[in-house]
Amino acid sequence: MPLFPSSHAARRAVGAAAMAVAGVLGVAACGGQIAANTPASNGNNFVSGNGTSSYFKAGSRLAAPAVSGSTLSGARLSLSSYRGKVVVINFWGSWCAPCRSEAPTLAVLSEQYQSKGVRFVGVDIRDSPASARAFVQNFGISYPSLNDPADEIALAFRHTVPPAAIPSTLVIDRNGQIAGRVIGQTSYSSLGNILAKVTAGG
Amino acid sequence: MTDVRSPQAGNGAAAPGVAEEPADVAGETIAGVADETETPRPGGFGAVAWARWAWRQLTSMRIALVLLFLLALGSVPGSLLPQQGIDPAGVQQYFTAHPALAPFLNALGLFNVFAAPWFAAIYLLLFVSLAGCVLPRSFRLARTARARPPQAPRHLSRLPNSVRYETAMTTEEASAAAAAFLTRRHFRLSQGEGWLSAEKGYRREAGNLLFHVALMGVLVSIGLGGLFGYKADRLLVEGTSFADTVTDLDAYHPGHLVSPNDLAPFSLTLDKFSASYVASGPDRNQPESFNAHVSYTAQPGDAARTYDIQVNHPLNVDAVKVYLLGHGYAPVFRVTDGQGKVVYDQATPFLPADQSTYLSEGVVKAPDAKPQQLGFAGVFLPTAVDVSGQLESAFPAPYLPAVSMIPYVGNLGLNNGVPQSVYQLNTTGMHRLATPVQVLTPGQSMKLPGGAGTLTFTGYRQWVSLQVTYDPGQVPALISGIAALAGLVLSFLVRRRRIFVRTYRGDSGRTVVDVAGLARSDVGGGFEAEFGELAAGLKSVHDHDSSPRSEETE
Repeated sequence: MPLFPSSHAARRAVGAAAMAVAGVLGVAACGGQIAANTPASNGNNFVSGNGTSSYFKAGSRLAAPAVSGSTLSGARLSLSSYRGKVVVINFWGSWCAPCRSEAPTLAVLSEQYQSKGVRFVGVDIRDSPASARAFVQNFGISYPSLNDPADEIALAFRHTVPPAAIPSTLVIDRNGQIAGRVIGQTSYSSLGNILAKVTAGG
Repeated sequence: MTDVRSPQAGNGAAAPGVAEEPADVAGETIAGVADETETPRPGGFGAVAWARWAWRQLTSMRIALVLLFLLALGSVPGSLLPQQGIDPAGVQQYFTAHPALAPFLNALGLFNVFAAPWFAAIYLLLFVSLAGCVLPRSFRLARTARARPPQAPRHLSRLPNSVRYETAMTTEEASAAAAAFLTRRHFRLSQGEGWLSAEKGYRREAGNLLFHVALMGVLVSIGLGGLFGYKADRLLVEGTSFADTVTDLDAYHPGHLVSPNDLAPFSLTLDKFSASYVASGPDRNQPESFNAHVSYTAQPGDAARTYDIQVNHPLNVDAVKVYLLGHGYAPVFRVTDGQGKVVYDQATPFLPADQSTYLSEGVVKAPDAKPQQLGFAGVFLPTAVDVSGQLESAFPAPYLPAVSMIPYVGNLGLNNGVPQSVYQLNTTGMHRLATPVQVLTPGQSMKLPGGAGTLTFTGYRQWVSLQVTYDPGQVPALISGIAALAGLVLSFLVRRRRIFVRTYRGDSGRTVVDVAGLARSDVGGGFEAEFGELAAGLKSVHDHDSSPRSEETE
């Protein structure tokens, strides 16, 4: 019962025909800011992003959902306990190459912005505790990570700014609203720029 | 006095009376076949004339067929060459294998055929061609279905089926009696001085119209699916869960107007997978049944429900269907690194390399092992047997599960950020550890040389590959398809036929009645018999009913 590659091809063709239908019938395309970042599959068994970063101006931000769970070390952690601080939520997995590549950057940024009232929280998805703990130790990550094997935390963000790839990084301002997002591997500048604006009250 | 003439070959066509028949007898078309009326190429430089000419060409059936053929032809490289969206690793391999040819093919978009501009141009033109052909035709059919029959030909006796008799009625009485008779038989009439035309079988036009409208319905339905539907794949190991969100899917193909927020927010856990196989006889090793027992919640916070997904028996959550596509084994490994730390402990999906024995291949990557990264590549055998020194699997069910793994140390290539397949080991930065080939059964370990670590095969689980599909166009497409078929059958079964009646005073002073019949596109035959009955019926009305009053009571 293998996957039929042709079915994928056929769907693409159908999708293409659909575009034609939209054109002929005058169906208005109404993709928002998020649809523009829709990732494509890379064929490597997870959806990886291209490093696109978005910054949302104050006033156009959506409230982050109340998420909580247990961390890799077994403690309870709730996002609401960080209210009043800027929070960076990073969705990662130890098996994911872009996550491994961005880990040193996140470790550095989390320490640099600690004094500016920024807290980092990881969300470990599609991973095993043994591998995740080895990853955290290996990269010297000091901030906690929620263990989310069923991806319930990503699901909780579905009505806001969903993490659309692995890794994805969200920046939540002091009022608990989502101020920025990076889809795919973060760089020092992409996340740093968002953090500089948000910590400056932007 | 009745003079029934049998059809005479070649008679009708030459008759001047028949020539009055409107041209639409010739224009009668079966659904879907376009009028191939050749528009003359414009001679001058008029933009409107050229545009009209181009439009007539584009919407002709000939061009539609050419475009359809081109679409099929254009899809061929998509199945011959590796495609970016499906097999990016294959594309890379092609580039290294054919360094001169690959950039040229890439420039033509042959590695991403279905997204290539030339492919888009073909299907766009095809769609415009179809719409431009079917829509005006639908309007014309709608007009035809409401039309009244044309004037009766002058010389009815020249038609293939005709009857002449005399009656005691006046010409007016005879006309009125014939009109009443034909109306009762659901003919549509038009009348004039001394003549009467009746036509029946407009359901043929209605069927034709239904077919064309339903054809548009099919196209629109497919469009709906392509715009608002999505398809995703997920491999799920027993005891684990996934949520229908982009980060938790292996592959995700959204429609053009689907954003990640639109995915149905269900979660699903694979509780148990069971498969049974034929144990003996000629079909030995063939699968008999697959059952994926899952529990799911339609929305976060909802109560969990259970379902048994089977092949062609998908789970349906909020109009999203979850299909069972495949299955395999996921041996559970524990890796302890050189420093004695457990750096890997999980079920690892292996891909079946042999569908009849489920000999499966896979890799283990421990990127956080110290002092060096560890990797293992090997096989899982559900029923391991030794065939003259060669390790093989004898049966797809897990009766004697075993693994054999080859260890590597070095750089897995994961830390540079380039995504890689979880089923393949990139050994360019690694070297193989010199160990004899070992077969591990559940619970057994293998110590790596040089104190690099230990690999333990702790057991196995099974996995299923699921396909999540949402296609809002599926039901409309089915309904449109059935309607199109019904319309086509109707248009083939029902034939249009006309009855003409002329009444006039004959030489003897009695009223003469000429009755003629004409079947348009008499595919099934049998019109002659029907005409005979109608003519006899008309004659008996004209013979027995001498007053208009008694006609009404009949």
